[in-house]
Amino acid sequence: MPSAFRLDNVTRRYGSLRAVEEVSFEIKRGEQVALIGPSGSGKTTLIRLLNAMLSPDEGAIRVFDSDLDTCDAGELRRLRTTLATIPQHLGLVPTLTSIQNVILGQGGSRGTLRSLRDLLFPSRADALEIHTILDRVGIEEKLYTRVARLSGGQQQRVAIARALFQHPAALLADEPVSSVDPARARDTVKLLGELSAEHGFTLCVSLHDLALAREFFPRLIGMRKGRIVFDGAPDELGEEDQRALYDLSDEEMMADA
Amino acid sequence: MKADTGKYGLKRWVGAGLIVAFVLCARALGLTPGGLIPPDAGHWERTGAFFAAALDPAFDYEDENVPDEADPIWWKGIKGVFLTLKFAFGAMSLAVPTALVLGFLGSSAWWPEPCGRRARALLRSVYLVSRLFMSVIRSIHELIWALLFLSAMGVSPLAGMIALALPFSGTLGKVFSEIIDEEARDASQALKAIGHGPVQTFLVGILPRAMPNLVSYSFYRFECALRSSAVLGFVGIETIGLYIELSHEEFYYREVWTYLYLVIAMIVVVDLWGAAIRRRLHTSTGGCAI
Repeated sequence: MPSAFRLDNVTRRYGSLRAVEEVSFEIKRGEQVALIGPSGSGKTTLIRLLNAMLSPDEGAIRVFDSDLDTCDAGELRRLRTTLATIPQHLGLVPTLTSIQNVILGQGGSRGTLRSLRDLLFPSRADALEIHTILDRVGIEEKLYTRVARLSGGQQQRVAIARALFQHPAALLADEPVSSVDPARARDTVKLLGELSAEHGFTLCVSLHDLALAREFFPRLIGMRKGRIVFDGAPDELGEEDQRALYDLSDEEMMADA
Repeated sequence: MKADTGKYGLKRWVGAGLIVAFVLCARALGLTPGGLIPPDAGHWERTGAFFAAALDPAFDYEDENVPDEADPIWWKGIKGVFLTLKFAFGAMSLAVPTALVLGFLGSSAWWPEPCGRRARALLRSVYLVSRLFMSVIRSIHELIWALLFLSAMGVSPLAGMIALALPFSGTLGKVFSEIIDEEARDASQALKAIGHGPVQTFLVGILPRAMPNLVSYSFYRFECALRSSAVLGFVGIETIGLYIELSHEEFYYREVWTYLYLVIAMIVVVDLWGAAIRRRLHTSTGGCAI
């Protein structure tokens, strides 16, 4: 399988803070990967590097067939239309309805005027497809409900539907289940895996819940303080690795106390 | 003793400083409590007449020279109220689109990401210029703009409308740009991440996201525009303020009160209407988790 994402010695700093440091890995097309690690370990920064919202200070990133450092703004935008991203706070427009939010999934490739028309007068074909997608994610009756009126779990489904309507080559999700209860979180993660298998898109999800990541993902990439400390199958993740990932060192204990 | 150097100590010093500043200002302006009392019998009489007229507003003109075929005073007042409304509405119709453009230029939520150094420098200068422009036009009061425009264009309704629209564009634009930058980051980031362009992000993501607050604030400014357009009557533009000014000049206090009561009724009605709209907007975004 050719690669979907390839990082070579990527470093990204915020001022003096190194959010991601000398990270290298490859994700194959169609692969399902969970990014794990404590908060502040660099998962969000990594996702924003993968969808080209941030450029690295050092190192090279290749996404599908594009080297990001040689892309101009237009090429980056075209590339992003093939990468669905579900940010941590979902990034929906609460004043718009579900169908309006989902239809914006293709806004990147359709352009401004078409998007405005889509918001006001969605085509029949789009409405039918979105209805099918909402049916698949379990909220088909919420097609014309304003997103602000949906529950947290339902809003999550709208965000997933927006990603699906994009027909992405890869889906990046940043802590997609951080705001729902455990049972719902499990359903959502399971659904993302199923959808990736059904549609064949590459899936990369950051999760702070290790148990969920182990249950549903064949590959885990563990991060700690911006560096990769584990990369392998869930059953290879030993106690030593978990300590390396999550245990507080003496100095962090001191800082916490 | 140590507490005095802490934040309570600081608050106490600021409080004392404000009182001292007030006393110094009052002295510099020659204010005394006795200034509240009318200085002589003539002033007493006029003050008394003015407030007595509040209980006895005019239903007929006090001015005997008004021809019989003229509109009755209450009808003239109601017409004045509608002129005032028309003025405020016209000024807001100019100010809101202008403010949207200025608010767009003076906000940063729609900027492309990642943004190259040169593009960033360019966007930043556009941002600063539009912010500066908004500060300049709103730092001059509408009455002063009106004086400028009236002397340039003569007493025309258009001059008054522009004079009102200018500072209102500045205030609206500043608040619009702040609403846009504070509220819409999440949605705009998400749309940019899936390939939406900057203007597109603004139109389909940021604007709908910020719309309830933009509408609510515009409505509040419309109420302000009403009061201001009434005041523009004092420099000769035909709103209810002009009628108040003319009656007041002739000491027809009962007429003044007729007009004032109509102004109060107009403001109360518009306030109630605005409150109802704000309530609706609030419930339409209520319970929003994002």
